[in-house]
Amino acid sequence: MAVTSRQREGFTMPELEYVAQCESVTIVPLHRMDRLELVRGTVGPFRPPQKTKVPLWLAVMLKRTNRCRIVAPTWLSFEHLRDLCKREEQPDSLFTRLPFHYLEIAHIILTYAEDDLVDSQGIRRLLQDLREVRQSKTRGGMEMLNPLQLQMDNLSAAEINEIRPLFRHSFDMLRQLDLLASATEDSRQQQQQSQFGELSYSEMDNVMGSSYPL
Amino acid sequence: MAKRSYYDIDDILAGQERVPCFLRTDLDGLGSAGSGGGSSKVHRNTRWTLPYWMADRLNEEDYLDMEVSPIFAKRANRMYAASPESMQLRAICQHYYQFGLQLGEMVPEIPHVLYNMYMTRIRKVARIAQQGHNVEALDFVQSLDKMEARMLRLCQQAQGAIIAWQQNRAYALKRAAVIHD
Repeated sequence: MAVTSRQREGFTMPELEYVAQCESVTIVPLHRMDRLELVRGTVGPFRPPQKTKVPLWLAVMLKRTNRCRIVAPTWLSFEHLRDLCKREEQPDSLFTRLPFHYLEIAHIILTYAEDDLVDSQGIRRLLQDLREVRQSKTRGGMEMLNPLQLQMDNLSAAEINEIRPLFRHSFDMLRQLDLLASATEDSRQQQQQSQFGELSYSEMDNVMGSSYPL
Repeated sequence: MAKRSYYDIDDILAGQERVPCFLRTDLDGLGSAGSGGGSSKVHRNTRWTLPYWMADRLNEEDYLDMEVSPIFAKRANRMYAASPESMQLRAICQHYYQFGLQLGEMVPEIPHVLYNMYMTRIRKVARIAQQGHNVEALDFVQSLDKMEARMLRLCQQAQGAIIAWQQNRAYALKRAAVIHD
């Protein structure tokens, strides 16, 4: 299979969305169903109106055929996102804690289950704000690049994917410059040592003896 | 010799930059290989410019003395340290960074110079990629060398990919043609 240049630099967004659909969400089933034995585990049985935990892909499938209602995850509420936004906007703060696939999960739920959310327009706006603040923080992270280590906690999958080409290349370049610098440093130290070795003992006496008055 | 990737085309092109050399032997029949002069005999103790990859090998065999290219001479290095963002790298050398890495063994200041240039310029590149196009940045974008231009393109693509996906333009599921109702 041919790999496009876009795929070589990291994941594509549809791929990340696919991976994100393994996360589990809570649903309220509308029809009665027996348990499903899937590869990753057993799901069900569905007895409305009891809430059940299912993988996101299954929830989307059921939702599209009108067999369930999706319960919004706790972090995907207007109030919680507004608090996170406020905390994120404070100067010199680290990234706030969000689920690793928060962008993808939010997108899927907003696309397929918008009616299950309260104030979806507000949530969309808040998510956009959150993303912009975090992006400016990653740019601040660029200032602290060094060839050894850079730690940025709580970045999400899509954000890491976005900065991957730039940071990977910068780390490479910095590492090569570091190697070059230490190589020339080593060779210069060796040169200095050999210079001392070449001085014979009589010359050294002259050099050191001339400063003492006899 | 600095570690180079053998198959990297940009690396090969970067090594093509000419450096001034001081010949130590007579070279017969190679006058047309250098810049200028159609005569076929080149005498010793003349100055000549050769591509870096050639000059480096001949330097080790002592056929000539390789000197530092004017791109990384002391005066140029001071200029780079003074104002990295306004340098026209595309005009100076299209493969500036890679050539600098190759010359790094000869000139000990190169790691600092390159580090300075790279950090200031790549920050500006990242900022431009995130803000989209604006008119003042056009001059800067035109002065980028090949590696920085590639970085800018990659960053812009990464940006656009997330936005396109959020607007549901990233992919479309259609029924396969082989399925008949």
